[in-house]
Amino acid sequence: MKTSVAVVVMLFAATAIFATGVDDSAEAGMESGMPFKGETLTVSMWGYNMDILEKNVIVPFEEKHGVEIITETGNNSDRFTKMMARKDNPQVDVALFAGSWAYKAMAEEIIKPYNPALLTNLDSIMDSAKDPLGGRYALGYTIQHLGLFYRSDKVDPITSWKDLSRDDLAGFLTIPQITTTYGPTLIYMLSKAWTGDFDNTDAGWEKLAELAPSVVTAYSRSSEMNTLVLQEEVYAAPYASFAWGGIKNSGLEVQSVIPEEGLVGSFSMVSIGAGTTKDELAHLYMDHLMSYEVQLSEAMDLVDSPVHNDVELPREIAENLTYGDELISQLNFFSQKEMADNQEEWIDRWNAIFSD
Amino acid sequence: MNQIHFRRTLALLLGPGTVFLVFIFLAPLLFVLVESFQGDEGGITLARYRDVLADAQFRSVYLRTLKMALIVTPIAVLLAYPSSYLLTKLPAGRKSVLMSLVILPLMTNPVARTYAWIVMLGKYGIVNQSLRFLRLTDEPVRLMYTEGAIILGLLQLFLPIMVLTLVSAMENVPGDVEEAAQSLGSSRFGSFIRVIVPLSFDGLILGVTLVFTGCITAYVTPAILGGSRVLTLSTLMRQEALVLMNWEAATVIAVVMILTTLILHTGLRRLRPKNL
Repeated sequence: MKTSVAVVVMLFAATAIFATGVDDSAEAGMESGMPFKGETLTVSMWGYNMDILEKNVIVPFEEKHGVEIITETGNNSDRFTKMMARKDNPQVDVALFAGSWAYKAMAEEIIKPYNPALLTNLDSIMDSAKDPLGGRYALGYTIQHLGLFYRSDKVDPITSWKDLSRDDLAGFLTIPQITTTYGPTLIYMLSKAWTGDFDNTDAGWEKLAELAPSVVTAYSRSSEMNTLVLQEEVYAAPYASFAWGGIKNSGLEVQSVIPEEGLVGSFSMVSIGAGTTKDELAHLYMDHLMSYEVQLSEAMDLVDSPVHNDVELPREIAENLTYGDELISQLNFFSQKEMADNQEEWIDRWNAIFSD
Repeated sequence: MNQIHFRRTLALLLGPGTVFLVFIFLAPLLFVLVESFQGDEGGITLARYRDVLADAQFRSVYLRTLKMALIVTPIAVLLAYPSSYLLTKLPAGRKSVLMSLVILPLMTNPVARTYAWIVMLGKYGIVNQSLRFLRLTDEPVRLMYTEGAIILGLLQLFLPIMVLTLVSAMENVPGDVEEAAQSLGSSRFGSFIRVIVPLSFDGLILGVTLVFTGCITAYVTPAILGGSRVLTLSTLMRQEALVLMNWEAATVIAVVMILTTLILHTGLRRLRPKNL
């Protein structure tokens, strides 16, 4: 009996101390202009360049708001699967995905629309980045493109997506896998190049089938493409802009081009986790990613191309990123919904062509 | 009393391993098996199997994977048997050094090990350079991203396992049986075939099962050496699970993999000489 009384008293005391602590912390937070002080925010993101992201994004946010960022890192599919598995007990407050995965996340309702009233930097970013999925489910926080490069010492200049079918490139070509972000967009670009119409995708598939024997292998990661370039297995390829640094630093004579049909544009997207209980703090983080300071520092470190309209970059930095009116005006954006709807059929078509 | 003591000791010795196997291996396996028979709206159905097995692409990938496993496994047996025999005959010191060399590929990171093949088999790799030096070809031959490259990679990966199991089995063969066979007129080769091979058959079954299973389920080697050109069961399963989120099809593929190896293992056990 005495033991039970003692336990109850201790529980009361512990609760009182804990409650006081919380109150004190909240009060101190309010006084210091940090209403979220002591809270944590879980951000699902890629694990690349973590040291630079810590410096430019995470630590400044933690210091500004007195919060702790917990990162869940991994590739798109791993993180998507994890969020799906915990759909009934969500733990992610902010999620960063590539376009197609953000679309899937929207369709599965593991992300929710953002509230524009809580985003002070919204008016300062590119119009196309404000709502790339529709329904305000995501913001494009960085822009990328799929371009073409070639070995200027080995082959003639490339000027069109049609040139991928040239005889001198046969056996020296790699392309992105259909399962990657840019894989399906290659079909659109081939369709445009050969018929003048992005939507005539059957023609694009025919051209891909003709192209297939010329392809050494298709790459599923940019690092694979870099290896193929370094081993001199390939002389030309469509490449994701974030891989350009690696290609350029290979020591080989490489040249990037803007083909006459233009380039493929895409955004990496940031969304609010559907089940977050930290709505305001999650929006603050989203807004922070869009801020001039973060966008500038990320660009200067060659991590992400800015979507903030006021960010101006020196030429030597700009030429490594998706930046500048001339380049941006050449970008073609494709419907994530259409790509997601076609995915299964297109993967089957791809496997039938490549896995003989 | 002794019987009770024996049972208690047995339970203590087997308990941890059994619990580990049940929770870490059997339970997930059972879960996969049950899941593969579940319909979209509950109940038990063969619909998922019908869908996957009716798919021409799956059948072609399955046959390709099976073919590669059926090429790698006998080559591994042929290469491993003589070297394992030789290893068992060596003095302890030299044997230990050579065994370390044999297991070296197993101690190397699979990605690094597989990327080394790119250097070997690439257009300007060592093999192609040698072919050109010997004037056997003028143009680089495509060696990477072919079934041949995967077979080579799998052989390098699994040959040590075959050697290890055969060495272990041959060490249990009493040395005097071979001498007895030879004293009765058998040649060295004859005594190897008629005495050593049958007596190490259990090791052979184990080695073949491990190598065959490894070939059917390997992911990194086919993914890197086959690239987009050669899909195997494991790369197809990854595509279904992590790209299309089609876990149902991935589950069926996993069960097909398990059944294939179980059938092989059962078949091999039946081939075991009855008088052993």
